[in-house]
Amino acid sequence: MGILRIEGLTKVFGSGRLEVRALQDINLSVSKGELVALLGPSGSGKTTLLLCISLILEPTAGKVVFDGQTIFQKDGWEGGVDMRRLRREKVGFIFQSHNLIPFLTARQNVLLPLSLIGIKGKEAETRVMELLEYMEIADRADYLPALLSGGEQQRVSIARALANNARLILADEPTAALDTGRGTRVMDMLKKIARENQSAVIVVTHDERMIEGFDHVYHLKDGCLERNVIPESVGE
Amino acid sequence: MHLAFYDLKQHRGRFIATVFGVGLLFTIVLAMNGLYRGNIYEGLALINATNPDLWAVERYRGGPFNEQSTVPEFYHYGVKAIPGVDKASPFIYYTVERPVAGKSRHFSIIGYDVFGGLGGPQKIFAGRNIEHAHYEMVAHPKLGVHVGDRVPLGLHTYTVVGLTKEAISSDGEALVYLSLPDAQEVLYQRDNEEIRNQRERLLRTLSSQSYLSPNQADKLLAPLQSDTHIINAILVRLKPGADRAEIARLIDKWLYLSAYSTEDELQLMLKGRLASMAKQLLLFRTLLLIISVVIVSLVVYTFTMEKIRSIAVMKLIGAPDRVIIRMVMEQSLLLTIGAFLFGLILIQNTYQLFPRTILLVSGDTLFTFIIAFAGGILASILGLWHALKTQPAMALGG
Repeated sequence: MGILRIEGLTKVFGSGRLEVRALQDINLSVSKGELVALLGPSGSGKTTLLLCISLILEPTAGKVVFDGQTIFQKDGWEGGVDMRRLRREKVGFIFQSHNLIPFLTARQNVLLPLSLIGIKGKEAETRVMELLEYMEIADRADYLPALLSGGEQQRVSIARALANNARLILADEPTAALDTGRGTRVMDMLKKIARENQSAVIVVTHDERMIEGFDHVYHLKDGCLERNVIPESVGE
Repeated sequence: MHLAFYDLKQHRGRFIATVFGVGLLFTIVLAMNGLYRGNIYEGLALINATNPDLWAVERYRGGPFNEQSTVPEFYHYGVKAIPGVDKASPFIYYTVERPVAGKSRHFSIIGYDVFGGLGGPQKIFAGRNIEHAHYEMVAHPKLGVHVGDRVPLGLHTYTVVGLTKEAISSDGEALVYLSLPDAQEVLYQRDNEEIRNQRERLLRTLSSQSYLSPNQADKLLAPLQSDTHIINAILVRLKPGADRAEIARLIDKWLYLSAYSTEDELQLMLKGRLASMAKQLLLFRTLLLIISVVIVSLVVYTFTMEKIRSIAVMKLIGAPDRVIIRMVMEQSLLLTIGAFLFGLILIQNTYQLFPRTILLVSGDTLFTFIIAFAGGILASILGLWHALKTQPAMALGG
């Protein structure tokens, strides 16, 4: 079942001689439980695509369907769709620099998306501890981010992305700030999440070593999706 | 989640420093509120305590407190003769600075007719009222004297026979009650050397006049000496049923004096001497409140700018604007309310140390709190503006 379908998505910045085509006729479809990698060098349009998928940046043309609901068509954002609500209820974010709220403990950071969707009290606390245990970081629940290592912070960040039972998880360079060992571990966790939670996971990365086991790998170059490669490891 | 609280907990040092600093400003604002009330109370206390039916003063003068008023002492007989007047008493009031109990003290002296006249102390809490024509005084304890103490004033020494707290001078200084002749003597009597010099100067002037013989000049000397039978006001009590306005009109028309009711006297003070002080204090309070709001505003702005990336993350994960607004505004209000409470506790525990009366009125405190609360909301606007225009895209990337 398709979680995200993008058809002919184009994003143009500026106009006339200053026009920049950041994305050109992108077609992408992600189903639940699928793990998709977006590879590309700096300036290839990865972040722009991620912003469009995150429902933050309005495309110039194309169509975006999210969880069966048309979000964008050629005329613009669909009226009556609350983008922030969609994000807080159905999307989870994992960032390159973890982006934990520095004044909240690990537990409170995971609790935040739950409180935003109205889950509070014992139910929320139980869910938070389950997630922290799932990410094997429960013993650090009451630590502030500054007291956690980079890998621990990233695990808390993943727990936060999972808190709302996201249909779609967007990971922006999740291993960029980690060494190879920790990076591989984080990628393994994302694969586990995709399989066990049946969430669609899109990972933006420039590190091809980390994409083993992904269902689809897309290469972005100069704003165009060049190929859709199913890694050999999937077929094995 | 109480995001504001968690953030402030993280920055508790800066929070406490801000609460302390702004709290001191609020202490001054509250002290000025109390000072304003205290000045009004002190400025009107003597008028309220004396409270005759009419105050007859020098014509066209707003005396005796708001403005100087000089009336010959014998005029009170004329006032007494007006139909409807029950009693008319001479009254003198002036401020001096004299050494008392080894310290130079600034205080006000009231001279009144101690034998049944108006204007004397009503409530004596220690000792008794003045019973003799000379050399007795009733004083406010603020003067630093006790019953039985002997206080030299001018050429004589006066015994403290009673203490009263009922009134205070309009400048907030201690009051001393003396008999009328004693008060006039303290005010007008010069020392012997000065009297001799003055007599000598006057005699020389008169003797130089060719149309006066030395004998005639000598005879003129006594009546030309300066008159000390001067008072500042005549306090009038009316007979039951007497028409106050009509009697005031008669005093004005026939005795060439101005007559005011106690309410008029209060208004003269409120619109006169006390008005500029009130405006001054209002201006200071306004400025201090603005400074407080600016400081809180800058601190909240700094707090907001420091967590702008966190705000972007919150927006990206779908936090509605109201969550962001609540966080910034709660921080501002926690700072403002914390500072206000600190200021309130400080002034409640230190107001007795101020030299002037600080009269803390709960209505003023509540009003200041409402202004401060509104200021706290206002202070968050700059931070809010930045927080709301933060793009969630800022959270993406390295």
